[in-house]
Amino acid sequence: MSKIRVVHYINNFFAGIGGEEKADIPPEIREGVVGPGMALRSALKDEAEVVATVICGDSYFGENIEEAKTELLEMIKQYEPDLFIAGPAFNAGRYGVACGTIAKAVEEELNIPVVTGMYIENPGADMFKKDLHIIETKDSAADMRKAIPKVAKLGLKLVKGEIVGPPEEEGYLVRGIRTNYFHEKRGSERGVDMLVKILNGENITTEYPMPNFDRVEPNSAIKDMSKIKVALVTSGGIVPQGNPDRIESSSATKYGIYDFSGMDSLTSDKFMTIHGGYDRAYVLENPNLVVPLDVMRDLEREGVIGELANYFVTTTGTGTSVGNAKAFGEAFSKKLVEDGVEAVILTST
Amino acid sequence: MNKTIITNNKLVYEKLNEKIETQFLSKYSYIEILEHVRDMIHEGNKLLTHPLSGSLKPNETPFKSIVVSKKKEDLDLEGLSIIEDSIASAQKFISGKPTPQYNERILNDFRLIDLSLLENAVNRMVCL
Amino acid sequence: MRLELGKIFIKDVQFGESTKVENGTLYVNKQELIDIAMEDDRIINATIELARSGESVRIAPVKDVIEPRVKVEGEGNIFPGVISKVKTVGSGRTHALVGANIVTAGKIVGFQEGIIDMSGPGAEYTPFSKTYNVCVVVEPKEGIETHAYEEAARLAGLKIGAYVGNAGKDVEPDEVVVYETKPLLEQVAQYPNLPKVGYIHMLQSQGLLHDTYYYGVDAKEIVPTFMYPTEIMDGAIVSGNCVAPCDKVTTFHHLNNPVIEDLYKRHGKDLNFIGVILTNENVFLADKERSSDMVGKFVEFLGLDGVLITEEGYGNPDTDLMMNCKKATKAGAKVVLITDEFPGRDGKSQSLADATHEASALVSCGNGNIIVELPPMKKVIGTLDYVETMIGGYEGSLRPDGSIEAEIQIIIASTIANGYNKLTARNY
Repeated sequence: MSKIRVVHYINNFFAGIGGEEKADIPPEIREGVVGPGMALRSALKDEAEVVATVICGDSYFGENIEEAKTELLEMIKQYEPDLFIAGPAFNAGRYGVACGTIAKAVEEELNIPVVTGMYIENPGADMFKKDLHIIETKDSAADMRKAIPKVAKLGLKLVKGEIVGPPEEEGYLVRGIRTNYFHEKRGSERGVDMLVKILNGENITTEYPMPNFDRVEPNSAIKDMSKIKVALVTSGGIVPQGNPDRIESSSATKYGIYDFSGMDSLTSDKFMTIHGGYDRAYVLENPNLVVPLDVMRDLEREGVIGELANYFVTTTGTGTSVGNAKAFGEAFSKKLVEDGVEAVILTST
Repeated sequence: MNKTIITNNKLVYEKLNEKIETQFLSKYSYIEILEHVRDMIHEGNKLLTHPLSGSLKPNETPFKSIVVSKKKEDLDLEGLSIIEDSIASAQKFISGKPTPQYNERILNDFRLIDLSLLENAVNRMVCL
Repeated sequence: MRLELGKIFIKDVQFGESTKVENGTLYVNKQELIDIAMEDDRIINATIELARSGESVRIAPVKDVIEPRVKVEGEGNIFPGVISKVKTVGSGRTHALVGANIVTAGKIVGFQEGIIDMSGPGAEYTPFSKTYNVCVVVEPKEGIETHAYEEAARLAGLKIGAYVGNAGKDVEPDEVVVYETKPLLEQVAQYPNLPKVGYIHMLQSQGLLHDTYYYGVDAKEIVPTFMYPTEIMDGAIVSGNCVAPCDKVTTFHHLNNPVIEDLYKRHGKDLNFIGVILTNENVFLADKERSSDMVGKFVEFLGLDGVLITEEGYGNPDTDLMMNCKKATKAGAKVVLITDEFPGRDGKSQSLADATHEASALVSCGNGNIIVELPPMKKVIGTLDYVETMIGGYEGSLRPDGSIEAEIQIIIASTIANGYNKLTARNY
């Protein structure tokens, strides 16, 4: 049997091309292994061969997702791989998202198995763990030596169609795919065991964790809007032209507060959107579609609302972790309250 | 009666309309009935029966009948959350495997089951 | 209330001159059973066939399964209020033909009944592949209403179950198990240092043709009530509902409720089993509110420290399950839920149609959407005509050679949500 053909994806940094200053390099492909591919080659042993390595800068990927995906897919396809491996990305956020995005695209378009690797807090892990096998790594490349053999082993299993074991056995992040098996005890006996443990104050592990309920109880309705101050808050990525605070186009780590006092609407010469998750064309033309300053001014004039706060709060929602989003909210809510804002209109995209 | 049935099941309309006003939306799909009811709840109608009654998965039957109040009151938040969860469940099943195209004999079985659920509920309405 | 349950282990079933048990073999007289089924003029034809564990046999569409039992001592008879006089049961002595079952089959409506395979991969999912089954296949009178036919088929099964059970009346059981729960104050006093535990048993009552019956009362008409656990072992509860096959709590499962059995195993050791709260799963939200309120009230009134809750069905009952969980927690009890899951074919979506954060201890009885391959069987009892429209089946499910590809939902009691089986699901 001929060897299994593997294509490997890495970023500019791991390719040895350079750090942040080279993060904007477009996709390229090289024959054989590059950088961590060497470790991969030895882990794959004689069964498989890394036929090519594709390389792309992290910011190029993040800012040109569709183009990068198409270009990379074209390059990968030419080498007719049986298996695609991306990363591992460890804790590098943009690299993780890039690995996840391209791995998912390869799986869907080329219909071959894919494996990647990430640290559990990498934003790419949350985004793609349901779709992909992501080997869990530590938070730095120091874990490369341990991570690569797991990536290789799982990849080979997938190519050969062997049965993939549970997460802790294979080392991948829990995907949340509900899979059946026969337990040694029947359900009722496990239920009684569980109850007795709880009653004895012992810890138990539920067999089906409830979805995360981070629900916020709605406040009681406002009786009279005509007396109060309202603010606009968005996750639609509207920022002043030039994006002065460099808010990320996805997986945001910060938010911005921008003044629009004296303006009647958000004009396209002053505002833009940097959001990476929707077709920006219409919003670039008319930012009011996301931050509706124009109609809020009308309501202000008509006396429907008392007053509009003279600024808006903004971030990018796409890929942003719940933890970050929560922290943003906690931080800017304080300012809103201090400024006498009693109601907020949240716009998303 | 201050209740109304929203249904895409003609059997429910034929059998129950005399007792309880029935909105027969013959062209609506299962999901569209749920969405229609959701819209009504937003308008102040109260959800009275569980949208996923019957233990038939949403991609197994094309028929759905739901009872809501006629009177518009304050937003029924609990009902809203139940209908939204139900729509999410229904979409999950239908996108995974669409409801089959059944022949008329089987469709009649499904109509009958849907009616059976409703009749049982309607017969108990006096006390509610 | 104290019940001695005498278990007579059945290791084979044969047709015979008379209906009797001899050396672990159950003999049934075919004509006697046919005559019982035909007493009801809504049934125009009945056939009796045998299916033994390990045989290449497929039974479909299965309606209900009944373990033959007989009252030997004590008040009342099996299935009170349904086929015998209303009388409180659950004390004295009862004999059960363990390993034998009556299986009723025949079309009721096109999609609510399921399959039992006596061997092969499908057999692993149902407890009835391990037993010796007397199958009763009934045919309705032409033009009869579905509700009436369902009732006739249900009663035929129960009557035959009681008739066959009678054959064990004078047989010396292989094993006798004693179950006892005392009146509340005495029971609490018996094990004052053990946590007081109850079981909240949710009965399917959506009104799919018919429902579950407690002493003959339709469960949707009850307000939650209290039951001694042993009552159920004498047939105080019978199944009459149509629900997805995998979820079906058959009459067998009521007689052999696993939660009750396993709570008794720890009774007096790790817990004090106080009793069973029976409640329903109605479709009206107002009913749900009332029933779950009353469940909460019982938990408080009985001073329960912990409860197990089981449900029957998917969707609508999930809401009752969560409401009961919330209110039992609020009443001061620790709660463990037992249920099955329907996360879709890719296994990635929410498993239940409702959720609450109090549901932090849950036992899973498996993912019903998993697809299984069932090879052809040499013999079919009943008919495969409805396979593709059964729940879990789909267009193309039944192949010309008689093999079936379907979701495990199609198999009777495969993911039964009371913990009878060992099947479970975990995150991959």
